[in-house]
Amino acid sequence: MKNRLRELRAARRWSQADLADRCQVSRQAINAIETERYDPSLPLAFTIADVFDLTIEEIFLPNRADTTNDPA
Amino acid sequence: MEGLLYLRAMVKQQDQVTRAARRAVLIDGLPVATLGPVALALGSDPDQSAVQKAWWIAATAVFALAVAWVLLRAFRRADEYLRKVQLESMAIAFAAVLVALQVATVLDAAGVIQLHQLTQLILIGGVAIWLVIADLRTRLHR
Repeated sequence: MKNRLRELRAARRWSQADLADRCQVSRQAINAIETERYDPSLPLAFTIADVFDLTIEEIFLPNRADTTNDPA
Repeated sequence: MEGLLYLRAMVKQQDQVTRAARRAVLIDGLPVATLGPVALALGSDPDQSAVQKAWWIAATAVFALAVAWVLLRAFRRADEYLRKVQLESMAIAFAAVLVALQVATVLDAAGVIQLHQLTQLILIGGVAIWLVIADLRTRLHR
């Protein structure tokens, strides 16, 4: 799943550690989400959205090309 | 000098969760790191008296409980990503212990080695594999 975390974080001049502290997770988790190695759980996605004062859809973008269960 | 500055920057960049986790692992890890070799040393004598066996069993039981306690605390402390890393590392270590035990059992049946001498080493090796993989995975993906 693609996301705009790095871009949003840079716009606010926050480090990964700053964002991690605000979301109450480890910096490794933020790094893994930013580099698309890990998709956050729904509660964490809501927390991230709250921190940026945006909706989940404005931060996380589904990778439609990866959808293999699509019957069409 | 540049290396020192980089290290300082990395330490400063550590978040509160990571700092707390590393501090707690150090505090929790000390009794386990001490008890492991003690249990191993107590069980190394093949001709043990009943008292020596009792000490060995007691030390091994305390070691096992300490490992379980450290595991439980680590899982409760970790966030969802670190928990996933820990579980995957444990799965690899578990597979390694299973294979090593199977090989040791076959070699024991063939009379090449004595299984009871190796069992504890294999288990300690499994814990070491788990910790090393989990640590490398979190360190390499900075």
